[in-house]
This record gives sequence, structure tokens and C-alpha cells, in this order.
Amino acid sequence: MNAADEMTPKERMLAMLQGKDTDRLLVSPLILNFASRSLNLPVRSFCTDGKNMGDANIACFKKYRHDIVYIFSTTSTVAEAMGTRMYFPEDDAPQVETPFLQSREDITKLKPVNPEKDGRIPVYLEAIKRCVDAIGDEVFIVPVIGAPFTTSAALRGTETFIKELYTDPELVHAVMKVTTQSVKNLVDAYVKAGGVPVAVEPVATGSMISENHFRAFVLPYLKEVYAHIHSHKLPGVLHICGKIKRVIACMAESGADILSVDAIDLEEAKELVGDKVCLMGNISPADGMLSGNPETITTMVKDCITKAADNPKGFILATGCEVPIKTPHENIIAFLEAGRKFARLPVGFN
Amino acid sequence: MEKSDILNNLAQAVIDMDIARVSKAAAEAISSHIDPYEAITDGLAKGMDKVSELFEHEEYFVPEILLCADAMYAGIEMLKPHFPKEAAPNKKKAVIGVVKGDTHDIGKNLVKIMLDNAGFEMHDLGRNVPYAKFIDIAGGLNADLVCLSTLMTTTMDGMQVIIEDMKKAGIPSRIMIGGGPISPAFAKNIGADGYAKNAAEAVKVAKGLFQTIQVPLIFKTPEFVSVRKMKEGCNERC
Repeated sequence: MNAADEMTPKERMLAMLQGKDTDRLLVSPLILNFASRSLNLPVRSFCTDGKNMGDANIACFKKYRHDIVYIFSTTSTVAEAMGTRMYFPEDDAPQVETPFLQSREDITKLKPVNPEKDGRIPVYLEAIKRCVDAIGDEVFIVPVIGAPFTTSAALRGTETFIKELYTDPELVHAVMKVTTQSVKNLVDAYVKAGGVPVAVEPVATGSMISENHFRAFVLPYLKEVYAHIHSHKLPGVLHICGKIKRVIACMAESGADILSVDAIDLEEAKELVGDKVCLMGNISPADGMLSGNPETITTMVKDCITKAADNPKGFILATGCEVPIKTPHENIIAFLEAGRKFARLPVGFN
Repeated sequence: MEKSDILNNLAQAVIDMDIARVSKAAAEAISSHIDPYEAITDGLAKGMDKVSELFEHEEYFVPEILLCADAMYAGIEMLKPHFPKEAAPNKKKAVIGVVKGDTHDIGKNLVKIMLDNAGFEMHDLGRNVPYAKFIDIAGGLNADLVCLSTLMTTTMDGMQVIIEDMKKAGIPSRIMIGGGPISPAFAKNIGADGYAKNAAEAVKVAKGLFQTIQVPLIFKTPEFVSVRKMKEGCNERC
């Protein structure tokens, strides 16, 4: 346990969720592929091997004692398991190479994910189990799932898919139905493995699509996902990066209890949805974590906490998006230390 | 039908993302012997300018821009065979691409559409482009502008490598960069000439880089060949 802390990350999270007092705010840099650095693994061997992925996250937690351990490589993992071909750079996150749905007719071949067999889901499951066994008493293990719209875009090709919001809405809904079922299957499998799954929906960000499209094509399916997560008696977390001012009200209607936000002023987010949801954010990954220094990061942390620590439904200090893999170690330390120092006020979830 | 009605129909059909109506209006323009250059300048391009405005005001988003561009290019395709042959134009040449390691190309495609419409001759290198390719193509074309894009923090440092290599190779092209993790400070640090936060702004920044030299707007110059040239550099969508 960090000398400054009185609770384990798990106790802190549970207390927050139950509306009890905590020793301090949760401090959760979005450490995803960056965890590979703790075992000096190239990202490719980190994200294609369950043992590596698990062990690197365990080593990373032991080093930093951050409040949430995420299991993640890319937002397209569900699409990959459904047939999209990925490109795996040697030392970077995988990216979509060839979308599965090359034609409208390919929809007939689209099937919900079987988590035991498909794509790299077994890698994730092994990583979750290893983490749960090794550090699950102290911290929640949180696998990150690409939500239905993001998964559908990776299955069809993002440009084609978002044009079809106008030209072929029927196809969009048909794809969304199958991907939503996949996401639910993954939730079940990850929960069974001991994880607490969260969903990310970056393709539905406010700089990409309009609020009207969000309401028509994204929100109904997110609601289904969060109802399903709640049926496991777990809290719902929704992350959307990029500019989200235009869609944050919709995000708060999804049923998610915690919104992880990126490019929005936290004071504004608090005004807009703070009475409905816990907020999580939002140190800039590029300007802060990657190219900032301990001093500037400390200032950013202070600023976030000043703006959002009094959010009616609670606040988790986090980065706005993934911690870049080239982030200097001292910047992570600065983020965590500043968080621990400035976040020592009891803030309840309810 | 009045000429002004046909031109308005062309513009409005682009704004409405309606390929069928663009085609109909373009056919009317041709049968009414409207100067095809004028049909583009005062019809299709005018519509696309409005689209850019709507995007800037956050009334239009990415799907809308992509569909409006599809409609515009469908109209240009129809009008193209009716241009008289003319001498090669004097347009600013711009090379654009997503740097190596990154395959996210929507932002780059939007910038390409907007710059294309604003009168630049676009040469699209695609996504995941090796550093050396930017140098080779920019040097070979004697490009006026090089636009680098990335969405990822892991690949943004590649922009600096490209800028340094370009300087070493003595290529004088101006460089504009953009993408999710890029900030104006980062752009300045690595020696870029311009930074644009979105596709609409990219046009202003790019034009600003050549302010002392008059940028010939393709749709506003009489060199009709320019439109054909433009299409060559734009093999993805057209």
C-alpha cells in the first residue's frame, strides 16, 4: 500500500460506489497498452498473449498502485473477434486493416461473439484471470469493451458506416443488433472471469456525429448494454474521448453511472450532467502525460480536482484518454502523487 | 429553366447530400449550355462552401461532409467531359497523408476534401505513409504544401522526423499538421508552418501560409485542366 493511502484501491472503489466515505478520491490514469512497459514488452507481444498481458498489468499495478487496472489493447477487439482483420504494429496498439463487412450482403455471415473461441478474447480472458488471482483482492480488474457503435464501425469501415446512417439506416440497425449481442456476451464472459467490464464508444464522439444520430443509432443500444451490466449488479462506466459537449447529455441517459470524459471543461460537464452521473477525467494524454513535465501535470491535476471534486455524483481523477505508451515514468508518478496529495477529501458516490 | 436556378439547384443538392438531384441539375446545366466551369464555381463549389460553414458551426458532422463531397464529385464527373482543353494551371500543389504507424484517415480525408474545394491540387498518399515517401513525393512534385495527419500520440513524433528530413533534403514546401493529439504548441515545437484543429480551419490556415502569393482558386481560374488534375490525386473516393 502507498504510504499516503489508508484504503486499498478496491476498498476505495467499493466505498465510493456505496456512497460511504473514502480516504481520498480515486486516481485512475487510463493505463492500457502502457502497462506493457512494466515488463519491457513490445505492444504486439503484450496484446497477443494472455500471460504477457496479465503479468504486465500485475507488474504495472505493483509499481504504481493506481486505483483501476484496465485490460485493453484496442477499441476494435470485438470487431476483430467477429471477423475484421487487424494490423499489429511491432510496438503499438493494433489497428483495423480490413473490415469484415465488405458488402451489404456480408451481414448474413455476421454472428455474435463466442468469447471462449473468437479472436483475441481468450487472450483477454486469460489476462483477467491472472490479474484477478494475483491482485484481485486489492484492485478491481476492468476489461474495456468496444461498445456497439464503435464495434460496428470497425466491422463495416468507419467512413462507409457513418455514411450509411443516411443511406442505409436499416443495415446500420441490423449490424448494431448483432454487435450489441456480442458486447453482452463479452460482459458475461468477463464477469465470469472476475472482471468488472466497462464500455467505450469513441466513434460516437461529438466531433464525429450529431446528437440526433447519437439518439437514433447509439443511445438505444447503449441502454441495452448498461441494463445488462446492471443485471450483474455492477456499475456502468462509459468512456467517449474527443469533443463530447454535444453528446454528454445523451451519454448520461445511457444508464451509465460513471462517464469518463476527454475534451470538455469539467466545470461545464458538472453543470450539464453532474447531478446524474459520476465524472471521470480528464488530464490531456498528449499535452499532459506525454509532453508535459511533473510540474505542469501537477498543475493540471490541481485544476481538475478544483473543478470537479465537488461534482454531486462524485469524481474520479483520470486521464482524458489512454496514457501514451511513451509517457515518461516520472510523469505517471507526478500524476499519481498530485492526485493523492490533492484528492484527500471524502467524496461519496451518491 | 433560368441559369441561376440551375446553379442554385446544383449548390442546394450538394448541401442536401443528394446525388440524384446533383446529377439532374448537372444534366440540365449541360443541355442549357451553361459553362461547365461556372456550373462548378457558382454551383457545386458554392454548395460545398456552405457545407464547410455548416461544419464549422457544428450543424454538419462527418457523415454529412462525406455525403456532400460524394454529391459534389458526382457532379464534377458529369461536367468534366464538357471542358475545353486548356493549358496546365498554376495551382498550389499539396501533398497529404497520415504518417507511418497510423491508419486512421477520416480527418485527413476531410482536410483533403476541403482543400480540394478551396483550390489546392491535392496529392493523397493515403494512410500509414512511410516518412521517406512524403519527402520523395513532395520533392518530386515540387509541392507547395505538405499536410501531415495523425490521431495517435505514438505516431506524432514521426511528424518531426519528416519535417527535419525535408529541411535536410532542401525541400522548401510549407508544412501544415493536424490530428487528435496535436496542439499548436506541438506544431510550433517541431517546426511546422501551420496547425489546423479541423478541416474547415485547415483551409484558412493553408491559404494563410501563401497569403503574400495569390492562391489561384481552381474553381475561380479559367484553367479547366485543373479539375482533371485534381481528380488524379484523389483516387480514393472518386
